[in-house]
Amino acid sequence: MFDWFKPNDVLWLIPAAPLLACLWIVVVGHVVRRQYAHRPVVLALAVSFVASIYLAVNVVPPEEPAHSEEHGEHAAHAEVWKAQKTTIYQWIHVDSQPAIDIPVILRADAMSALMLLMVTSVSLLVAIFASGYMKGDPGYPRFFASIALFVFSMCMLVLAGNFLLMFVFWEAVGLCSYLLIGFWFKKPSAAAAAKKAFVVNRIGDFGFILGVFLVWTTFGTLDFETLFGNPAAIREVASQGTEIFTCISLLLFVGAVGKSAQFPLHIWLPDAMEGPTPVSALIHAATMVTAGVYLVARCTPFFVHSPKAQMIVAGIGATTALIAALTALTQYDLKRVLAYSTVSQLGYMFMALGAAGAGKELATLAVTFAMFHMFTHAFFKAVLFLSAGSVMHSMGDVIDMRRFSGLRKALPITHYTFLCGALALAGVPLLSGFWSKDEILAILHTASNTPEHGGFYRIILGVALLASLLTAFYTFRAYFMTFWGEEKFPEEAGHHPHDAPPAMAIPLFVLGAAALAIGGLAGPTHLYGNYLAHTPGLPEAHHLEPNLLMMGVSSVLALAGIGVAYLFYVQSPAISRNLKSSLALGHRVSQEGLGLDWFGTRLVTNGLRPFATICEFFDRWVIDVIVDCFGFIPGLFGAVLRPIHNGYVQSYAVVMLIGLVVCLISVLRTLAVAGPM
Amino acid sequence: MTASSLESQLVVGAILFALGMIGFLTRRNLILIVLSTELMLHGVSLNLTAFGRYHGNPQGQVFTIFVLTIAACEAGLALSLILTLYQRRKSLDVFLWSNLGEDDLPILSGQSTVPQTKLADPNADLPHLTPAGRAPKTPSTKT
Repeated sequence: MFDWFKPNDVLWLIPAAPLLACLWIVVVGHVVRRQYAHRPVVLALAVSFVASIYLAVNVVPPEEPAHSEEHGEHAAHAEVWKAQKTTIYQWIHVDSQPAIDIPVILRADAMSALMLLMVTSVSLLVAIFASGYMKGDPGYPRFFASIALFVFSMCMLVLAGNFLLMFVFWEAVGLCSYLLIGFWFKKPSAAAAAKKAFVVNRIGDFGFILGVFLVWTTFGTLDFETLFGNPAAIREVASQGTEIFTCISLLLFVGAVGKSAQFPLHIWLPDAMEGPTPVSALIHAATMVTAGVYLVARCTPFFVHSPKAQMIVAGIGATTALIAALTALTQYDLKRVLAYSTVSQLGYMFMALGAAGAGKELATLAVTFAMFHMFTHAFFKAVLFLSAGSVMHSMGDVIDMRRFSGLRKALPITHYTFLCGALALAGVPLLSGFWSKDEILAILHTASNTPEHGGFYRIILGVALLASLLTAFYTFRAYFMTFWGEEKFPEEAGHHPHDAPPAMAIPLFVLGAAALAIGGLAGPTHLYGNYLAHTPGLPEAHHLEPNLLMMGVSSVLALAGIGVAYLFYVQSPAISRNLKSSLALGHRVSQEGLGLDWFGTRLVTNGLRPFATICEFFDRWVIDVIVDCFGFIPGLFGAVLRPIHNGYVQSYAVVMLIGLVVCLISVLRTLAVAGPM
Repeated sequence: MTASSLESQLVVGAILFALGMIGFLTRRNLILIVLSTELMLHGVSLNLTAFGRYHGNPQGQVFTIFVLTIAACEAGLALSLILTLYQRRKSLDVFLWSNLGEDDLPILSGQSTVPQTKLADPNADLPHLTPAGRAPKTPSTKT
């Protein structure tokens, strides 16, 4: 029936729909029917979502390619090598040696399709939620225009067919993040947070673009298809020394560190919570911050050649996970707890990605597990954030957990959805977070049993287990502090706090159900892993047997964390108070984010201030003076010509007369030479 | 018509043109400037009639009639413009109209060597004719 509709058409439809919605709001919706600005966006995101499902079904051949022995690896690869592509137009073309060809090309394979599914589904639900949450805000159309622009940029980032195009949209999502963090730009803290996020991300982007340059000088192309579809070329470069891959990988990883808020650039993400809560759920939990994970996963063919780079990835991931978990223990701001937990979970994903440093045969599994954790995390973190938003909505924008408690009765819907997300995040058995986290722990366990780098990965595994205990504890600390205990409302909430209206409740239910079930549906059945294995460029891999030891340990840790939280915050709050006073210093350090934020903002900023002053001096007294010189030159010409134009009729007449005489003389001379007619 | 009579007519035309030109370049009075241009115009018209006569065809004279017509229109136009200018400054001095820039910008050139114009006092009594003849009868005057 839909023969005329090729999967290739879907490729451009996915980003085009949100872009159109954004343009519509900017041109028309900004002026008329402002309170209905969410409608085009929700419609466009629904179109994108349906198109993503269609793409996901079509991008992978329907039947499993035959893995028979006689075909061998080559045949299997040829089968797998089918990325959908469509070129929009030729962007950059330079006839040099080698020729620079940068088309705007959309390319989708299994990995992109899964990312798109995640991005469009979460953004659709968040947009519906936001239509209730943002109601009555004076910037209502602006909010939805920014959201649509973000989804467009994110889809383009995922669909980009070469590094440069990816970089462009990498910056575009950063811009949208800036716009949305600073959505309430009249609030000084929001404006500062937006600026901080932007500047910290620049550091990462600098590494990313250097990595792209290095890819160019090494391979002479930036096209994903050519780069990753050609294992022979990569092997040839690798045979001359793997240092170049270490460099490329680490530079690209610097980009990922910035975008995915890893140590030491994670300081921007907690501050980014100044933005509206749907933005925190969409951009700073589910989608944009996972772009770094996506980048590293996408560049796996580079990373596999450099165990050193992968160990650094795992090390940074572990450091981040631990630091963020320790910081989250003592935060009082509900959203900041969730923000640090996001940072910590992203650290988990990088640990998984780095696990392949123990052996190349783990590479595909590492990518699969990292991407799977990202997938489940998107859903349960989105539901947590949206529930936090719902709490904020009913508490009159108060988010400090010390000022409200016992909301279980007042906000039943929010309570249950938050509980779903919290259980999934804590890794309670059989829920989403359990499956994905367990897979990460399993691969780290496998990596720690290898002879080469076993010791290193044992430390990583230990950190991961500790972080998983802390995760369960701080998640349920927040849960118990918010929803249990005596019923207490801040005065901003008014007398009768109201639960989520339908526009907010429905997305909460859907996401809550997804948080509970999606991990179990897609994880242990290998649905996700088998699908992702179709990604071109990933080496063949076998399934990892379920690691019962790790499952058992992580379940015990999760339940222990929840139990301790229950003990501290419900059973006998005195314990936590005593602990807090006896460990005052530790509490303070944890609350301040281990001083890293202080280090980042004070020491680095003030250290760089003299340099900034020099730059400003140079700009004002050198660059500006040069520019002013160019402005001065026309004035000089004017001064030369000015005396002629004195405004007196007679002087003009004299000039005319002189001209006339000159003409006359020349005519008469010509006549004299030609002779009388 | 002989060449010598053509020559003397051309000489008269040239003298008229030169006089007009000198007047145009030296006068500051707007009306005299217009008169000088008329003088130049008619110097040229004289050339036209002289050559027309010399060649024995009417074209020169036809041209002259057109020139006269246009000169009449132009004079009316010029005088009306002069009247407007006079009403704005109460003076016929052309140098009052030499400022090219906006009024609020500094003057960067000109003016310094030119003697200042003496403006007529707008409140001064206008000259008036001596009354002559009988006063007209009006209903208000008793006879």
